[in-house]
Amino acid sequence: MHVGVGAFLMLGAVLFSLGIYGALSKRATVQVLMSLELMAIAININLIALARFQTPRTMDGLFFALFTMVDSAAEVGLGLALMLAIFRRTDSSEVTTLDELKG
Amino acid sequence: MGWVLAIPALPAIAFAVLVALPRRIRNTLLWVPVSAISIAALLSIGAFVRVLPGGAGIVVWQFHWPLARIGGHLLELGMQLGPISAVMLLTVSFVAACVEIYSLGYMHRDERVGWYFAVLSLFTSAMLTLVLADNLLLLFAMWELMGLCSYLLIGFWFELEAPRKASQKAFLTTRVGDLGLLFALFVIFKQTGTFAMTPVLASVGHWAPGVAVAAATGLLLGAMGKSAQVPLHVWLPDAMAGPTPASALIHAATMVAAGVYLIARTMPIFVAAPPVLHATLIVGAVTALLGGLLAAVQHDVKKVLAYSTISQLGLMFMALGAANVVAALFHLVTHAFFKSLLFLGAGVIIHAARTQDMREMGGLRKHLPVTTATFAIGSLALAGVPPLSGFFSKDGVIAALLEAHQYWAVATVFLVSLFTAFYMTRLYFRVFEGPEQIEHLHEGHASMIYPMTALAAVTCVLGAASVAFAVFLGREGEWPTLGLVLASLAVAGTGIGTGWWVYGRRSVVVNTRVYKERVPGLYGVLQQKFYFDLVYETVIVKPYMALTEALAAFDLRGIDGVVNAVARGWVVMSALSWRFDSSVIDGAVNGVASIARDSGKRVRRLQSGRLQTYQRLVLSAVVLLVLVLVVYVVVKGV
Repeated sequence: MHVGVGAFLMLGAVLFSLGIYGALSKRATVQVLMSLELMAIAININLIALARFQTPRTMDGLFFALFTMVDSAAEVGLGLALMLAIFRRTDSSEVTTLDELKG
Repeated sequence: MGWVLAIPALPAIAFAVLVALPRRIRNTLLWVPVSAISIAALLSIGAFVRVLPGGAGIVVWQFHWPLARIGGHLLELGMQLGPISAVMLLTVSFVAACVEIYSLGYMHRDERVGWYFAVLSLFTSAMLTLVLADNLLLLFAMWELMGLCSYLLIGFWFELEAPRKASQKAFLTTRVGDLGLLFALFVIFKQTGTFAMTPVLASVGHWAPGVAVAAATGLLLGAMGKSAQVPLHVWLPDAMAGPTPASALIHAATMVAAGVYLIARTMPIFVAAPPVLHATLIVGAVTALLGGLLAAVQHDVKKVLAYSTISQLGLMFMALGAANVVAALFHLVTHAFFKSLLFLGAGVIIHAARTQDMREMGGLRKHLPVTTATFAIGSLALAGVPPLSGFFSKDGVIAALLEAHQYWAVATVFLVSLFTAFYMTRLYFRVFEGPEQIEHLHEGHASMIYPMTALAAVTCVLGAASVAFAVFLGREGEWPTLGLVLASLAVAGTGIGTGWWVYGRRSVVVNTRVYKERVPGLYGVLQQKFYFDLVYETVIVKPYMALTEALAAFDLRGIDGVVNAVARGWVVMSALSWRFDSSVIDGAVNGVASIARDSGKRVRRLQSGRLQTYQRLVLSAVVLLVLVLVVYVVVKGV
């Protein structure tokens, strides 16, 4: 069975959609962070797939994917730190309780 | 000789002191004006002594004060002391001192006595400055200042209607004459370019024909107003509504004589204008006759004396009409003394009898011996009985008219003398003799008696100075001739005899209705004062009142109507403007505000503070944008 670029892009789209859904609907901050990671992974899949299936082949997409991974790792570290700070302040780890900017 | 300035300055200072103080303190400082005028009188004697050699043109003191420079003309105020000024200073200050001392007794109960003395001082100062003035501008200023004081003193009891009306009448009537004086001043200034009297009078000979006539006419008019000559005499009898001592000083001795003084001082202008000189003679004759006639029918003691004053001023004008300054001024001086004496006597009488109507008096002689004696001296002097001063001065007038060959005028003077003797006899018998009609009569206070005695003494001896007076003023003097003495005596005797026949013969209250019924026409004419007041009332006052009322009505309807219409229009305009403001302008402002508020209300719901809501919005927007992009691409067919 021939697996083409379309299947990878489809996988990326599905993962991205799941990520969006999770980011928008989950109340736990950890789950939201996990969803964000999911979206980052979807982007990486897209980048790598497009890099693998393009002609002539270049390394641009792969490098970009590496950068994104590093970026995601840093992001998670930052996000978890924020989460802990929020938890200390509000005794809650849910994003819905953070509505101090309500107009 | 600078101290001569102190003579007018002292009463002025007294005025300034009194006016500046509150009433209660002012009323206790009456010694200030009295001592001021007394010192001024003493200084006047000093001034007189300095001038004593006399003679025309002698000037022992001069004073010039430049006032302003207008164009090429220098306006200055000047004074000088010559024989005429010295005589007038002496007369005015002496009479004023007597009157002020007398007023201490006469006015002491009045609650505004301080104000009375203040105005009297101001008047005295103005009159003393006037007789010293060697400058028409200064003379005119003092002339008007005296008019103001006269107005204030006539209307002194302004709570009553009669003094108020009389003061206005006096002020307005004399103002008519003053217009003439002002005109004369303009004419003289146009001709000579100066107001200083000495150069003006020296240059009369070079004036263009007609200028002297115009100037003299104006001066005569001014003098007629001030000296109450027909037809401007109507204010003087009414002026008797003022306090009696003020009448004695202002309306008998000094201010009313200022007209005579003015003409005497400017005589060269009149000599250069023979028609005006003749007019002066005629005015004087008419006034003398008319005043004498009217004095004979008055019942008010003061009004008899007022008409008598008018008549005597007429005699002075006649002497001036004969171009005889000395005779006029001598009569002025003697008249000042005996007429102020008579007025002061009238004041005592009014105090004692508490009425001015002499029909209600009688028998005052027993209770007021000093007043009776001094009043009799004054009356005899006025009637022209020798050896009192009035005899000499009146003979001086007659001699002057004889010298000028105005024989009809001489006859007039004799007729006036007859009237004078008659009405003074009438006054005397009505008041002092006959049955007593009033109880509790009392003699005047010592402060009232002494000034009268002093004036009476002067009246007795002043006649002896008639020749010296003429020489002093630079003219040859001579004693009256025997024929003239006899004629005067006969006339005075006839007048007194007739008066006695009517009023003194019987010892009952005299009723003169018989005479009135016998000549109703003449009586009516005299009763109506020759219709002068009536004519003025109908010809001037009433049309003027009608005019003012018409103007007031026009004001009310025309001017006020326009003003009110403008105001009403403005009100309507501003109402509209307010409505526009509140609906359109405020509406716009409020509308903008409420739009902002409402939209804010709606938009704030978006800002829930929830991250995921915002993300949802972002997602929707992205989806929408992508959709638009897709549709765009599909439609374009790329």
